[in-house]
Amino acid sequence: MEWKHKNLIDLDCWEKEEILHLIDQAGNMEDLLNRPIKKVPALRGKLIVNLFFEPSTRTRVSFELAEKMLSADVVNWSASGSSTAKGETLRDTAWTLESMGADAIVVRHGAVGAASYLQRKLKHAAVFNAGDGAHAHPTQALLDIYTASKHYSSLEGLRIAIVGDIVHSRVARSNMIGFRTMGCDVVVSGPKTLMPPELDYYGVRYFKDPREAVKGANIVYLLRIQRERQEQGLFPSLDEYFKLFGADEELISLAEKDALIMHPGPINRRVEIDSLVADGPQSVILEQVRSGVAVRMALLYLCLGGAR
Amino acid sequence: MKEKAKIMSDDEMERVLKRLALEILEKNKGMSNSLLVGIQRRGNYLANRLKQYMREMEQEKVITGVLDITLYRDDLSLLHDQPVVHSTGIPVDITGKNVILVDDVLYTGRTVRAALDALMDLGRPSSVQLCVLIDRGHRELPIHPDFVGKKIPTSKNEIVEVRVVELDGVDEVVICERGE
Amino acid sequence: MESILLTNCKVYDGKELLDGEKHILIEDGKIAKIAAEKPSVSENLKIYNLKGLIVCPGFIDIHAHLRDPGQEWREDILSGARAAARGGYTTIVAMPNTDPPVDNPFLVRYVIEKGRSSGGARVLPAGTVSKNREGCVMAEMGKMVEEGAVFFTDDGSPVKNSSLLQKALLYSSHLDVRIMEHPEDNELSKGGQVNYGWCSSISGLKGNPPSSEVVDIKKCVALAKETGGAIHFTHVSTKEGIEEIKRAKSEGLPITCDVTPHHLTLDETMVVKSGFDATYKVNPPLRNKEDVEALWQAIADGVVDAIATDHAPYHMDEKDLPFQEAAFGIASLECAIAAVLNEWSSRGKICPLERLLSLWTSNPAGLLPRQWSDLGVIKEGAPADLTVLDLDKNKQVKVEEWASKARLTPWEDASLKGWPVMTFLEGKVLFCDTDRRC
Repeated sequence: MEWKHKNLIDLDCWEKEEILHLIDQAGNMEDLLNRPIKKVPALRGKLIVNLFFEPSTRTRVSFELAEKMLSADVVNWSASGSSTAKGETLRDTAWTLESMGADAIVVRHGAVGAASYLQRKLKHAAVFNAGDGAHAHPTQALLDIYTASKHYSSLEGLRIAIVGDIVHSRVARSNMIGFRTMGCDVVVSGPKTLMPPELDYYGVRYFKDPREAVKGANIVYLLRIQRERQEQGLFPSLDEYFKLFGADEELISLAEKDALIMHPGPINRRVEIDSLVADGPQSVILEQVRSGVAVRMALLYLCLGGAR
Repeated sequence: MKEKAKIMSDDEMERVLKRLALEILEKNKGMSNSLLVGIQRRGNYLANRLKQYMREMEQEKVITGVLDITLYRDDLSLLHDQPVVHSTGIPVDITGKNVILVDDVLYTGRTVRAALDALMDLGRPSSVQLCVLIDRGHRELPIHPDFVGKKIPTSKNEIVEVRVVELDGVDEVVICERGE
Repeated sequence: MESILLTNCKVYDGKELLDGEKHILIEDGKIAKIAAEKPSVSENLKIYNLKGLIVCPGFIDIHAHLRDPGQEWREDILSGARAAARGGYTTIVAMPNTDPPVDNPFLVRYVIEKGRSSGGARVLPAGTVSKNREGCVMAEMGKMVEEGAVFFTDDGSPVKNSSLLQKALLYSSHLDVRIMEHPEDNELSKGGQVNYGWCSSISGLKGNPPSSEVVDIKKCVALAKETGGAIHFTHVSTKEGIEEIKRAKSEGLPITCDVTPHHLTLDETMVVKSGFDATYKVNPPLRNKEDVEALWQAIADGVVDAIATDHAPYHMDEKDLPFQEAAFGIASLECAIAAVLNEWSSRGKICPLERLLSLWTSNPAGLLPRQWSDLGVIKEGAPADLTVLDLDKNKQVKVEEWASKARLTPWEDASLKGWPVMTFLEGKVLFCDTDRRC
């Protein structure tokens, strides 16, 4: 297929066929992970900068592994101890990196719109969004779709229940778009204070009772609850959250028999998820981590094709 | 693209492949320490064909694998779209084995170069041999086939197409003229 | 002073479009004559043939941020006043949220004096309601009025303390200067970056809910009712806010309001469609299409008293940033009138032209202290503050040509129809973008 994307800012402009193609390629990339020499020369000579303004070991390491396995040259530029601390703007940092010859910039930033802003400012380098504020985290959604696809031959018509803090979650936003594009029936649940006011855009239904949302689901997706949300008064206590919305065995038992349990990590045990569920047979949480590398390899491979 | 001439029919292809199978068996004294590795995608089908003929001749177990060399190509940064990556699957450890690489057409030699790199990342074979159905000349690298189905002099403006039943519905080899 | 004759023009006099073509003679900075017949011409007279154009009372913008004193890298009184003249305005009200804020008579005088020598539009200062704009202690309102302050406002924020607002309303009741409220409940809008609802849901940005505006309006209406003091609500952006104001007006309360060109022409979808371009970041945020519709309806219904720019210029470095990090504010002085006229035509001229023109002229003039009430009319003897409109002119917005220091605007490159082409301040040509000199 003709691959038209050179950047990934969000999944809202991706077609189902494109996601399927990327997943197919990711499958072949994952085979590389099992080899004694986990490296191929596909992106030899490409310079990729991981520009992380927020601490995120998981996503950064996952991107870094993917880049290294494709033989790209990798530079990690983090906000602490760099020019950012000296007041350099994102624009100047980006231009500096581009002048140094970066072919691609993977960016994680606390501000919504940082990735699309970078894309507008850069002339040549591709931009991959590794999370911009609460807006989007498209590679997480792709790896989640990939993980789910390994267990279901088609995602069309599957029910996925996303439970937790939707309003502050870039993972939820990208996943709602991604799983809807794949033809899933996406439902969400969580306290109303953690829900965005408008869900019609995503084609997603809200259930105030998580049991209603999880009932009959093929995938139960739990989101991380950040402690500061409780401090902001969005719910009274973590304990109450767990009691009302936490995923314990009882809640999970309402889902389909072999429903997958997913979580973007890192998990808060006994806040959004019980250990028996997180570590149970239906959990694919660690598989998601492994998928991340393969999916990011496929993404970089497809988007960084030569002649730009 | 215009088809110019058919240079091999299905009967002829079968005859040539049977001869190649025999030559490989002869040189390696059977297939007990050797395996056929087809280069994705058509080399894969030719390797399976060779395996079938070898078994008919010697009733011997023949191991085959497939190798995708896409990620090892040296022209990735020149292409506009990245070529599709196919799976690599070799069921045994190739270390210490004789690996017979099977491909449809040998041309510049760059695919074989990539295949050698890919193989070396998988293990350390005791030898690597090259079997091609068609050698059309114009080598750009010092690569020489060990087993050749047919040598065809071509011009650079031509394309040699090997068609197999599994993908194309017919076994044949044709020469086409590249469009302007 | 050179006399000027404007010939063959249509005239909007602040009330209505006069029948037929008129000839206007300007002498000594005043309108000397408005006649159907061309007056006999003496020498030493500049003549402009304005056939097909509309001459209006000079347009008034009651809400512009000139950033002076203290933030002159964004704008200063000189650049702001000139930008206003080029944008079709002859009088602008400078907001007092400067650094330091205009909370004393000396700074009021500073703004007036600097405006006077700017060569641009007339600059009238607004003073703060509270000292240092902190919302605690009342500023010296009486002294500021003596020096020429025309509004009191803590704009940039609401008057933070309800009790102070109540006292200010009582205290200023004899001063003939209105309090202008920036309607916002800071607790409800805390952290808000975009409109609450569709835009906040999709972007992941914190929403600023319409309730923030409505709650403050309700509070102020109650205070106005109780004290009898007049309150002007500026940059009203929501349907619900407008409804509250309509209700208060129907009760006969001394409530007025203005709306901005950006809230009349842009909506929240542009934030998302632009890939979170901070050019669209403003407070109050761009609302939804229904709100935009409601603002136009309110204009048609006569609920709106003025269109005011809330021109809020920033330096590129404060604006050309990822959305969440950029400053709030839209700069528009030099295209605001065109943006509104363009939208008005593309909406099928939802209200009569006279109504629209009144929101830039006689109506805002009526919100100023009495001494300025002549600014909103064209009549013999009144100061010759004039704005000439060409409703058929098409022009592209080019921000790099602006006199304003702002270099970003949502209308950049937009082709707009309907432009001011000349402004006169007390008989002097401030701006001329047409070749009508005879």
